[in-house]
Amino acid sequence: MTDEMSQTVTSAADSVAPILRLRGVGRRFGGVQAVRGVDLDVGLGERRAVLGPNGAGKTTLFNVIAGEFPPTEGSVELFGEDVTNKPARDRVPLGLTRTFQISRLFAGLTVADNLYVAVVGVDGGHLRPFRNGRDRALHQRAREIGDRVGLAGVLDRMVGVLSHGEQRQLEIGMALAGDPKLILLDEPAAGLARAERVKLTEMLLGLDRSITLLLIEHDMDVALTVAEHVTMMHDGRVVAEGSPSEIRGNQLVHDLYLGKGHGNDE
Amino acid sequence: MIPARLHWPIGAVVVVVAALLPIVMSDFTVSQILTRSLILGIAAASLIFLASLGGWVSLAQIGLYGVAGFAVGNLAQADGGVKVFAMDMWLAALLAIIVTVVIGLIIGVVASRSEGIYFLMITLAFGVIIRLLFEKATDLSGFGGINQIIQPEVLGSAQLQPERIYWVCLVISVLVYLGVRYFARTPFGLAFQGIRDNAARMKALGYNVTLIRTIAFGIGAFVAALAGVLNVWWNTQISPGTIDIRPVIFLLMIAIIGGLYRIEGAWVGALIYVILDNRLRSIDLVGERVATALGIIFLLIVLLSPGGVMGILESLSSRWRRSDEPDQPAGDGDGTAAAVVAGD
Repeated sequence: MTDEMSQTVTSAADSVAPILRLRGVGRRFGGVQAVRGVDLDVGLGERRAVLGPNGAGKTTLFNVIAGEFPPTEGSVELFGEDVTNKPARDRVPLGLTRTFQISRLFAGLTVADNLYVAVVGVDGGHLRPFRNGRDRALHQRAREIGDRVGLAGVLDRMVGVLSHGEQRQLEIGMALAGDPKLILLDEPAAGLARAERVKLTEMLLGLDRSITLLLIEHDMDVALTVAEHVTMMHDGRVVAEGSPSEIRGNQLVHDLYLGKGHGNDE
Repeated sequence: MIPARLHWPIGAVVVVVAALLPIVMSDFTVSQILTRSLILGIAAASLIFLASLGGWVSLAQIGLYGVAGFAVGNLAQADGGVKVFAMDMWLAALLAIIVTVVIGLIIGVVASRSEGIYFLMITLAFGVIIRLLFEKATDLSGFGGINQIIQPEVLGSAQLQPERIYWVCLVISVLVYLGVRYFARTPFGLAFQGIRDNAARMKALGYNVTLIRTIAFGIGAFVAALAGVLNVWWNTQISPGTIDIRPVIFLLMIAIIGGLYRIEGAWVGALIYVILDNRLRSIDLVGERVATALGIIFLLIVLLSPGGVMGILESLSSRWRRSDEPDQPAGDGDGTAAAVVAGD
């Protein structure tokens, strides 16, 4: 089970202390070992993609990092703090936010209110049943973020009537609203048309360099353009790590993923 | 939808007209139609508050309304129930509201972990438990109910000065309406709506979903308690039959007739229900079959418009507007957009 495959060399970010450090992370669901023996270090400002065919354990790994559920083995360290058993909501104030593979938005609220709720999420005062002076600044901040993700024109629209592409943009806006140091992007380009993917890639490239990005992506163009480091997963393990060009040239990756067209066509 | 700039003037006109109605209406109408509508409207508002902002259909609201009513009956001077307290009417009302909110929070702790049909069943179960409790505990509910519950002195007599309790109910209705509208735009209110739309995202954003839901349910209990207190002030009596399964269903009907996703619908639905309940009896064909007739009318309204009467009004006014105005982005930001989205 644990063999040399999981002991892949950590490539970059070994000079600075990593902001995310996984050691021997495993997650079992009943009889299924979805993730096993994953070591991962992500440094500040790094852009890293996690690739792998369907069922490789990428989303499970993401959920462990985000705190949806704890790992069954190993430890998760975030910004130098052991968060292995901390719930998702306690990781948000530390500076971790995420997007979802299937957009999880508030369809019955406007774009601006979606972002406002996200801003308040980190700001605190969740139970404040009255409006006060802070709200102006918070609403302002929500609208600025809407602007940053290209939704300035639809801020007062109901999210339920937005196009799929706009919803994906908002999905990232929601994560940005938390003023994060680390964003987990779960297939940000899922279901996007070609032109929308290009726009999304540009948006991700334009993000503040102090924000660390960790993304899962099926679309190789998006992933290898945005990422500077790539972690390849298969059967719940890390099987390769390297720069995008190294990954492109890796035979194992080709066999596993690129060559066989493992559902990565769209 | 009516343009946002007209909301305040229209609301103000409605309230002023409502306040003046006792001048032209008979005492019977003021008491049996108008006051009853306002009290049922507040009770329905507690249901619509949870439904429109939280996506929850609660069947416990009548039970909570009953808790408040019985609490007043027991704490204040009345015929039946516990007699040792006989406390000041205002103090009794205040304590009754506190007791109801505490019980609401306890129900909320359990119910806030569920959604949809499960939430409906849990709240129904609590409603039934409350009714059975009062039915069996005759020390609390008297034999055949608590009667002659005294009212605050300023209200005078419900028979002789029906306009006084009517105005009190009108003021409380306006406050509840404005309160719910205001709440929907606060951080807490928006968080509650966010949970309605996507609880998982709210957790990812750092919100304590269970806590927010529990407290929101407590707020719903508070509104139901207001209606419960007003009911015993107006009616001067309460019995386990007041919170039987029939009122539970009628309150749900009121909310649905008015429109489950607009808080205004609470009072619109209540007025329609009370008028029908009063007038249908005098039709020969209906006679004692009022419930059947109400059920048929209810079905027709639901078939015509899932958004109830408010939904009908909304689609009529938007059709009228569409003819002379270009399309506007939906929603005026009052937190009732789920219906707009779902209804289209």
